[in-house]
Amino acid sequence: MIRWAIIFSLLLAFGALRLSIEAALTEQHRSAYFPQARLRLDLREQIGQLGFLAALSGFRSLVADVAFVQAHVAWERTEWGRVLLLFREATTLQPRSVLFWDMAAWHMAWNASVAASHDPFLTNNALRHKAQDEYVALGKDFLERGIKNNPDRPQLYESLARLYKEKLNNHAAAARLFARAAALPSAPERDKRFAAYELSYAPGHEREAYEALRRLYDRGEHERLPTLCTRLKYLEQKLAIPLDERAF
Amino acid sequence: MIESAVAVKGLTKVFPIPFRRTKLVALRELNLEVAPGQVYGLLGPNGSGKSTALKIILGLVAATAGTSKIFGRDSREVRSREAVGFLPENPYFYKYLTGQETLRFYGKLCGLRGQKLKARTNELLDLVRLQDARNRRLGGYSKGMLQRIGLAQSLIQEPKLVVLDEPTAGVDPAGSREIRDLILDLKRRGITVLLSSHLLAQVQEICDRVGILANGILVREGRVHDLLAIENQTELILENASPEVLAQISALLDKSSTHLIEQRRPQTTLERVFLDATHPSEKNENRK
Amino acid sequence: MPPTLPKKMKTANDLDGKKRRHASAKSVVNSFVVKHRPFSFLRIAAITGNTLTELVRLKVFYFLLIFALLLIANSLFMARLSFQQEFQVLKDVSLGAMSIFSSLLAIVATAQLIPRDLEDRTIYTILAKPVPRHEYLMGKLAGVLLLLALSILAMSALFLVLLFVREHILVNETLRATASLRPEQIQEALHRLKASAFNANLFPGIVIIYLKAALLAALTLLISTFASSNIFTILVMVFVYFIGHLEATAREYWLQDHSSCGWLVKAFLALVALAFPDLQLFNLVDDIVAGTAIPMTLFTQTAVLGCVYTSIYLFLAWVAFQGKEL
Repeated sequence: MIRWAIIFSLLLAFGALRLSIEAALTEQHRSAYFPQARLRLDLREQIGQLGFLAALSGFRSLVADVAFVQAHVAWERTEWGRVLLLFREATTLQPRSVLFWDMAAWHMAWNASVAASHDPFLTNNALRHKAQDEYVALGKDFLERGIKNNPDRPQLYESLARLYKEKLNNHAAAARLFARAAALPSAPERDKRFAAYELSYAPGHEREAYEALRRLYDRGEHERLPTLCTRLKYLEQKLAIPLDERAF
Repeated sequence: MIESAVAVKGLTKVFPIPFRRTKLVALRELNLEVAPGQVYGLLGPNGSGKSTALKIILGLVAATAGTSKIFGRDSREVRSREAVGFLPENPYFYKYLTGQETLRFYGKLCGLRGQKLKARTNELLDLVRLQDARNRRLGGYSKGMLQRIGLAQSLIQEPKLVVLDEPTAGVDPAGSREIRDLILDLKRRGITVLLSSHLLAQVQEICDRVGILANGILVREGRVHDLLAIENQTELILENASPEVLAQISALLDKSSTHLIEQRRPQTTLERVFLDATHPSEKNENRK
Repeated sequence: MPPTLPKKMKTANDLDGKKRRHASAKSVVNSFVVKHRPFSFLRIAAITGNTLTELVRLKVFYFLLIFALLLIANSLFMARLSFQQEFQVLKDVSLGAMSIFSSLLAIVATAQLIPRDLEDRTIYTILAKPVPRHEYLMGKLAGVLLLLALSILAMSALFLVLLFVREHILVNETLRATASLRPEQIQEALHRLKASAFNANLFPGIVIIYLKAALLAALTLLISTFASSNIFTILVMVFVYFIGHLEATAREYWLQDHSSCGWLVKAFLALVALAFPDLQLFNLVDDIVAGTAIPMTLFTQTAVLGCVYTSIYLFLAWVAFQGKEL
């Protein structure tokens, strides 16, 4: 009996000793990887009982995968509400997966919004527009939260820039986002070019755009892509750049 | 003065019964001494505490009170078992190991290795006559073979003391005979043997001293010869005694105060008849 | 010769040609064949090897291993969406399978080690030799750890092979699809593909999976020293596995949330926080699969913590076993 008591107290003592170390490690985990879910009880409502248990048992990302696949199936059936819920689940459980945020935004801002504009159940145009705008906003929200969780990955910045460009017609914001993406170490080459292009489409930023494009042009042959040349030429004419400074 | 192989003083063992006030007293103030080179038999009915006593001597169980020493070293020290071999009651070994692998395993536990281990393994397999079965898994051994391999592993490190718990229990007469012969061989080599048994006739043959345990108390102890001798009786075994000689002896006895209790033809034992019938070609030696 | 020792007798029972060791007149203590060493790797190694041989014969081991391998191979056939998704599913399923099966194997294999020896009485023959109890426990645990290492190696090997094969196929597909594009674009596409396939962080992640299983094995050893049956040990350990994943939450509630719960709840939370291991810390794979880098310090700290856990549980198992009546 005494022996068991000794062992149990040693176990508790060990527990006390490791409290601070483990709290520190958990904090490291959280801040680095999984900031959202301190596994609050309301998370359980979001992802269901089984999902909660699975998440706790260390299968968080697997459950996220399953949700993702289910979302894909729901998309094929155009069940937009379900698509939204499942993507929320997947991104909550696996916030470091760029793919989930990206696809979520794509489904919302592009697919769902277009479907809404043709929705036979929405009786008039105003309602359809409203639905469209809501879906685009949802897509934007996904990308913004995705960026918050993954500030070091260029893809989400690019996707958000594209959203601003194509859906919201805000080229200045798109340019800013492309520039932010370009500043990251793993960004592809084209981001800085796209930043410059978007700037060139944004009214009131012509001078800035011209300078950016000119800088790129001066870098060399590999930057002188057709689009760059076209925009540079257009800006040179628009800004009435002196002939001897022009490239074209 | 050479110290005893086993010296037990005041050994008491009490087992508390969970959830009950009463306790089970397995051993009560046991005093035991086994001189080196002796064969000592610890006898008693089932539940008398024989196994407990052996386990305490081997340091497998802790005593509640009293001391136990092997060659002067306390039983609780691991070192004391350097020169001790043990064969438990009804042992199973690892069934998936062959006879040879089993001996090698136990040899390694005793610190043997390499050539020495190999030589010792072969020697013991010869001794217990299991050379043919050395590469067979223990799962396929008969009970007698298991006992023999058990005896072999108890001897692997050339112990000075061998402790056997019911060595012949459940073994057929031929196997039992072999084990007893092996024990006598050990005695001849100067190895001390401490065994426990409730097969009294077999014990009688091989032990020098016995102790009888009942309810944890040593009730009788001493040399077999002394215990068994009926003090005031003498046995004469005559060969080719003619009726006249017998009559003369009878007359002689009548004259003195000696009383003839019984006159009969000595009998052989059933065991000897059995062995002769089942193994007529083998020599049955060292019959006492 | 001293009178108490018997004379040597030549009888026909003596075996021919064998050396006979006879008692000498010297004190018996000096004539032992092998001196007892207080700590011996040979002894531990003998028990380790034996334990490994015993465990490898366990049928349940084969079932678990084959099931795990099937699961990993099966992940190839899951829904094909994009290559990124495919690698993610492959990694998630494989690492998830490795995690749960190594934990399960650790528990099931260790649970029956000591009870079986006790039942078969082989433990008496082992401990009657000059083997200290702590070496016996170390040998047993080492056998299980070796088994776990071999299993995880097998599963990792299969996983990596699948990953490489898949990557190779997809690289070829990508090359065909992007044949018309400029070289740096092709490079970039390939770079993306490779980055999402193979990640050097997989190795530390697998090491942490191993350490989690090791910790569970040591704790199972502790429980098995006083458990009355196999099933009891396994059930307790499954319970510990689940609660262990909740321990972090319990700890947080206990340490931070002061007002909302009564003292009974707080006491319960404290008990969970102190008595159970925090298994959440050993789940680094979720983050590795998403492609994030694990800082070396975090990995080292977690690894050290895992080793400390295992050692402490082994020590407690020794304390429990020391006083066990055999």
